[in-house]
Amino acid sequence: MVAFIGFSLRRAWQGFWRNGLMSLAATATMVLMLVMLSGLIILLTGLDATLNYVQQEVQVVAYLKDSATPQDVASLEASLQKMAQVTQVNFVSKDQAYRDFLARHPDEADVINSLPTNPLPASLQINLRNANDYLDVASYLNNQSPIDRVLNIKETVDQMVTVIGILRAGGAVTLVIGGLIVLFIIVNTIRLAVVSRADEIEIMRLVGASDAFIRWPFIFEGALVGLLGAAITIGLLFIGQGPITSFLSDYFKVLPVDAGAAVGRNIALIVLGTGVGIGVLGSYLSVRSYLIR
Amino acid sequence: MQGVTKSYPNGRVALRGIDLTVPEGDFVFLVGPSGAGKSTMIKLLIRDELPTRGEVLLDGRDLGRLKRREVPKIRRKIGVVFQDFKLLPNKTVRDNVGFALEVTGARRRDIDPAVDRVLRVVGLTGQADQFPNQLSGGEQQRTAIARALVHNPRLFIADEPTGNLDPLISWEIIQLLLRINELGVTVLMATHNAEVVTAVRKRVVALENGRIVRDEVDAAYHRED
Repeated sequence: MVAFIGFSLRRAWQGFWRNGLMSLAATATMVLMLVMLSGLIILLTGLDATLNYVQQEVQVVAYLKDSATPQDVASLEASLQKMAQVTQVNFVSKDQAYRDFLARHPDEADVINSLPTNPLPASLQINLRNANDYLDVASYLNNQSPIDRVLNIKETVDQMVTVIGILRAGGAVTLVIGGLIVLFIIVNTIRLAVVSRADEIEIMRLVGASDAFIRWPFIFEGALVGLLGAAITIGLLFIGQGPITSFLSDYFKVLPVDAGAAVGRNIALIVLGTGVGIGVLGSYLSVRSYLIR
Repeated sequence: MQGVTKSYPNGRVALRGIDLTVPEGDFVFLVGPSGAGKSTMIKLLIRDELPTRGEVLLDGRDLGRLKRREVPKIRRKIGVVFQDFKLLPNKTVRDNVGFALEVTGARRRDIDPAVDRVLRVVGLTGQADQFPNQLSGGEQQRTAIARALVHNPRLFIADEPTGNLDPLISWEIIQLLLRINELGVTVLMATHNAEVVTAVRKRVVALENGRIVRDEVDAAYHRED
């Protein structure tokens, strides 16, 4: 067994270097495809993070009656906190609302100051776990006595949820299609490398080599191509890390995560796994067509 | 071979109802025009193809009933050489011959002595470290023969082994095959080389259109009635 593994590894190594040009072509294709794939993943991760961020920004704003007592408000706040859909509840007092208004519209200070009393209601600002829950929380609030009315942004929320859904689905489809294209191209390149050694496989069959002895050197060689391709790709991504991160934070202005560090490790693992996996799969499929008879 | 018929998916029938028995230690020439079915017969014998009907028995075992993993073991009992030698250009003579042992799981320390032994049999000891493109056609075919011999086969099959060689070199190859036969190995040689067949006077099996049309011992290439 040890001798067999030694033999396979040795043959894989020889095969890789003796067919330098084919190995180079396969590795280069692998690198190109893996870079494209990781580019796609980085872009989609950025998109996803942005969408998450946007979703979390959806707030239910409920205006309180001026007659509502602090106790009523406090108990309402407490019951909201217990709801699974709610992440955070902020109480904005009448005074706070007044100051916010002035800060936002300094030109209209005269208008509001000319009124005898502060017309702005106190409100509760409720952050949601998911924008889809907007209606649940809004209808709950409508039935509560301290609530005057709930700001109706249902249409806006619905549109946003739809757009986010389409973007998510589009991203997933792009990733799957991109992945399949990458798989197809790499498997074919490796197939070329195997086909260029068809005579070697034929001789092995003629002299009575078992399937395992024919197959495993090629599989190890495919793994080697994958490993090398992945290593080069990760190296390139590491070099490009700085520019990529700054591009992403420029492009997705509100991106709340650091794409360089958190995503980087995942992408390295994906690249490595994909590279080696596709290398092995490509070799396996290519050699198989010579073994089946 | 018992009642062997082989037809290909494209409808061509290569062999029709072949009955042929070759006793161990025999030397048989397989002759006939191109397309008569010689190559198909060889493919059936090394189980590269399976018969459409009938049985191919080797050493009493039906090749059609072999399990997949048993096929390589049977192939090690059969040495095959072809017109185009099928040597690996980037390996030396020694490594080409040793390759057959290496890929069948032989221990490395057993390979060198076995290779040296067969290189002596075919007379290539001096060329062991040369590459195929440094060798003459005859030397390349002898390398292929050495590789086919290295597993100590019981059956040796040569498919047009002299097809690419000039007459003098062809004679050397025939002499070598006769010597291998003298060592007790059954030899089956498909050939067009009438001069050689007639001169050697061995058993001749003639194929035409997938049928055996003649099977004579001590025979010539052509019918001598």
